[in-house]
Amino acid sequence: MKKILSLLLASAMSLSLLAGCGGAPAPAQSNNPPAGGSSSQGGSSSADPAATASPIKVAALSSGYETAYPGMWQEVCDAFTAETGIEVQLTLEKNLEDVIGPSMQGGDYPDVVLLATGREKGLTEQFIKDKLMTDITDVLSMTIPGESATVSGKMIPGFVGTNATNPYGDGKTYLAPMFYSPCGLFYNAGLFEEKGWTVPTTWDEMWELGDKAAAEDIALFTYPTTGYFDAFFYALMYSVGGPDFFNQATSYAEGVWDTAEGQQCFDIVAKLAEYTAKVTPAQANESDFSQNQQLILDNKALFMPNGTWIVGEMADAPRADGFAWGMTALPAAQVGGAGASYAFLEQIWIPSGAANVDAAKQFVAYMYSDAAADIFLKGGAVQPINGIVEKLDGDNVMFYSIYDTGANAVVGIFSAYESVAGLGTVREVFFDPVNGLVSGNVTKDQWVADIKAASDQMRENLV
Amino acid sequence: MRSKGRSRFIVLCVAPAAILFFLFMVMPTFNVFRMSLFERGAYSPTETFVGLNNFKVLLKDAKFITSMQNTILLIVTVTIITFFFAIVFAAILTREKIKGQNFFRVVFYIPNILSIVVIAGIFSAVYKPENGMLNSIFSMFAGREVMVLWKDQPMVIVSIIIAMVWQAIGYYMVMYMASMAAVPMDLYESAGLDGAGRLKQFFQITLPLIWTNIRTTLTFFIISTINMAFLFVKAMVAKGTSDVALSFMYNQKDAGLYGYSMAAGVVIFLFSFLLSALVNKVTARDVLEM
Repeated sequence: MKKILSLLLASAMSLSLLAGCGGAPAPAQSNNPPAGGSSSQGGSSSADPAATASPIKVAALSSGYETAYPGMWQEVCDAFTAETGIEVQLTLEKNLEDVIGPSMQGGDYPDVVLLATGREKGLTEQFIKDKLMTDITDVLSMTIPGESATVSGKMIPGFVGTNATNPYGDGKTYLAPMFYSPCGLFYNAGLFEEKGWTVPTTWDEMWELGDKAAAEDIALFTYPTTGYFDAFFYALMYSVGGPDFFNQATSYAEGVWDTAEGQQCFDIVAKLAEYTAKVTPAQANESDFSQNQQLILDNKALFMPNGTWIVGEMADAPRADGFAWGMTALPAAQVGGAGASYAFLEQIWIPSGAANVDAAKQFVAYMYSDAAADIFLKGGAVQPINGIVEKLDGDNVMFYSIYDTGANAVVGIFSAYESVAGLGTVREVFFDPVNGLVSGNVTKDQWVADIKAASDQMRENLV
Repeated sequence: MRSKGRSRFIVLCVAPAAILFFLFMVMPTFNVFRMSLFERGAYSPTETFVGLNNFKVLLKDAKFITSMQNTILLIVTVTIITFFFAIVFAAILTREKIKGQNFFRVVFYIPNILSIVVIAGIFSAVYKPENGMLNSIFSMFAGREVMVLWKDQPMVIVSIIIAMVWQAIGYYMVMYMASMAAVPMDLYESAGLDGAGRLKQFFQITLPLIWTNIRTTLTFFIISTINMAFLFVKAMVAKGTSDVALSFMYNQKDAGLYGYSMAAGVVIFLFSFLLSALVNKVTARDVLEM
């Protein structure tokens, strides 16, 4: 009797141990609940000769757009299936890197990934560096499923060709531009009207305004986290030095930071740090960054760099009377110059480990169809498609018209370089020290010297 | 015959755990050591053997040295403060007659069951520069507006220490209360008759008798602090302001340096191993029987 009991207990224990280890892979499966549903219908698709045997796996970042219009991605995938007969397994996660990352390390790749560069985990950058993406240049000349136009025929010119889409500078496209959002300086338009201030068009006017605001205990500037400086700095480089300087700087050309333009960029950021609300660095972290954004809503700071998603993000936050969102491009470097606004771009790409490359390319092409674009628009996601600006409504009309009012559109990113031990990421080298500049424990000279040293190393290791 | 069946039974019982331990603990650890000698991206199929080069660069990497310094600082300060308060509170709650003993026990224990995200949320309200709890209290006593930027340099590490101590105290306090309750009352009574005061009783009776317990928990605590420090730093403060060893490791992985991050992992592994051994050695005493 005792022996049976102990045997039972022992087997229960070993079972529970096995159950414990069986639990680990389970979440990966539960992350794509539509998988079961769509594969059960898989039999019907075999009737369609055009359809490939297995469904394609699409992994997309669940961003603010999905929050604004839940079900957006599933609707697009369903529309794609209806058009082409190709089944889609959708993985939609806020922490997409953590979900698809481990399974990709195990050799299980999605066929299509929507994940932008410039994210903290840098998954897309790692795929660029290791050359693990499929060349999708031919997608540009593909006919969009269900339409007669080609992809490149519908795309706004200028979005393809920078190192955000052609990372190796060899004329081949590896990442397709998917959603874009103008980034700029956001402010309270109501406050400017009340005080009779005008939005500065040059940096000199900016500093004047900063002194005026300081007299009323309002800081000129704040930023959510240092990560928001990438869009800011791209636009700054472009407005200071134009396209040539921008291209040289983003490919770490030799001596580019010693030029007058390079120095001016650093001067402006360092001076802006002096005008930044003192509480900013203490709140520039993942758990408190919205308190920095709140400074704008509370009239405690005038400008912050941000993107159009800020309106939805802070929709429920309390705000000062008469608050109205305003957005401006970065001021011009000289009188008479043009401002600049960075177009934050989310890319869609195909890993080279994808099993169904042809179907995946069709999916990417379908993203530019009117049907897909209209569904994405419901979530506020805007694609670089001709005529899309006319379809916008609400605050987005003002935001997306920023390029019509004289500001230069800036597209492109810092070039990818081979990872070198001890050499930080662009964000770590260029932007994270801004916290130190504001609180005063990093000097400008030190910051610039570090950038120059790192920049030399990055140039030597360009992919 | 009987003993053969018995040993077969034992083997059967132990096998699942042993196999799982080997598959999920020994193999990965071995792999960490192996991969630290290679350089590769997290997703790239190719890897290059670089020997001990990763370690050579690592020991010269200023960021790694800073993050190790931060880790050591946190281990030392958080351990000392937590253990001091946990033992004192446990002694007070078991030995003294205080109203609402159970209430205090629960209150002290609660932080331990909260998730790190909730703790980060709570401390974001505590440390808020404007109208935050701490700054408001200081302002009240100072009679003017005090604006300490808790999560900015140089206070950031202090903020993390406070949060970590707050989180850990309850758990260890409950552990010590349990072992203190096992100390026989007659020891205290006879000590009292001999004229020993409360303080003397604490040092001469309580502390020596729970010493084994303190030793064990100390080893646990040091290892868990290495982990907890990473979670706190990640959830609470800006990247780059007070990185600890494990956050350095993850940063390198995200930068595409898988082998390099594994080298950092190896150093952290050996460090925590040696530290535990050292603590074990230093705290060794003759075990007292109750």
